Amino acid sequence: MLLQIRIRILAFMFLLLGSLLSGCAAQGVREVTQNTQLPRQHELTATPFFPQELYQCGPAALATTLNAIDIKVSPEQLTPEVYIPSRQGSLQVEMLAATRRHGAVAYVIPARLEALLKEISAGNPVLVMQNLGLSFAPSWHYAVAVGYDLNKELVWLRSGTFERFEMSLSAFERTWARSQHWAFVTLPPGRLPVSIDADAAARALVAFEKNAPASAAEQAYAAAVQRWPEHLVLLMGLGNSAYRNKDLHKAQQALLQATQHHPASAAAHNNLATVLLEQGQLPLARTHAEQALQLAAEDPALKQQIQQTLADIQTKLDELDAANK
Amino acid sequence: MIVKRLLSLFVATSILFTGSIQIAQAAMVSSEQVAQSAGIASAEQDRERIYAALTREDVRSELIKRGVDPLQVEQRVAALTDEEASKMANQIENAPAGGIIGAIVFIFVLLLITDILGFTKVYPFTRSVR
Repeated sequence: MLLQIRIRILAFMFLLLGSLLSGCAAQGVREVTQNTQLPRQHELTATPFFPQELYQCGPAALATTLNAIDIKVSPEQLTPEVYIPSRQGSLQVEMLAATRRHGAVAYVIPARLEALLKEISAGNPVLVMQNLGLSFAPSWHYAVAVGYDLNKELVWLRSGTFERFEMSLSAFERTWARSQHWAFVTLPPGRLPVSIDADAAARALVAFEKNAPASAAEQAYAAAVQRWPEHLVLLMGLGNSAYRNKDLHKAQQALLQATQHHPASAAAHNNLATVLLEQGQLPLARTHAEQALQLAAEDPALKQQIQQTLADIQTKLDELDAANK
Repeated sequence: MIVKRLLSLFVATSILFTGSIQIAQAAMVSSEQVAQSAGIASAEQDRERIYAALTREDVRSELIKRGVDPLQVEQRVAALTDEEASKMANQIENAPAGGIIGAIVFIFVLLLITDILGFTKVYPFTRSVR
């Protein structure tokens, strides 16, 4: 009797486990294995490998993605840039920041298996964050996905001390899902990932522009504008970085384009006015600055900046008047 | 403690003023500002710039507290965007820090089983049944 009950309980538990497993049969996996757009398999065998030392998977993964685009840097050099001793690890935010510190752009890609495989098939190794353990016993880990085979349902990663770490697509998907599918690709300015949209590109480039040399920022924005010629932030970024790079003609072109596609953007008119002022086109500069002021109605900070532009234009006009007399 | 706060407030204020002077001279609206008003980067309102500077100060001291070389901290904080700095300040203790490979011994068996079932992948020698 007792045995029977035990067997029943056991059977029930197996049933439960079974339904749990089938329920979890990672959705993203089925989607990609049936995807006809993706090449069935691809592997970036030339991606370098840096075996990790204790707790240093962050620096090792970073070194992998940076060296893959010929930025020569070792995990040892990267450790003081990302590692937090008392946390025994590295934070996602600093992984992105460190990538930018070495002159590359860090593009966070969409949180989907399809996006990740698309990047690999386009030749871009993808740095991923995984929780190799369970949610209540986490084992957070960075690795670089470098290859996949949809027929065999496998992924290969440069991971930890393993040069070619093999995982089933579904196990990878589960461990990756625990980081909300966080992943990014590292590219030199001028190249773009294949899986992102204009807003994601803008987010990456604005962050890159902040500490990058003007010429690198200009180059990076120019490539993005070529793909998304009407995006406000990208056009502004191109205009601003060209201006910072003393490339007034390019700056004027980009900002003019920004005002044409976004006639209601006060910022675009203001920056165009500033560039025109430096080019000596004073009446046109004033027109755009006045337009900007009208558009900036509710933003006091922006208004203050525009009034400054107008004042600069006026000063220049007065100087010219004085010189003519 | 209060003295420290006041000092950082003073530093923050002076950063703010040098910042706004630079903006006033250039009169260019930065791409970051445009991105913020377009909702692409999280907004750091102008009146909250003091707060942003304080946030960076927080991140700086929190990193040092967690064992990062003070000589490195300056550059690490400078590499962050405003949005990233406030994210760090809020999550430095709780955000997942990737680094550990392997797991605690007492759940060895559990993880071994979950590994084999394909839920986890702690041990490189396991081969998932699925």
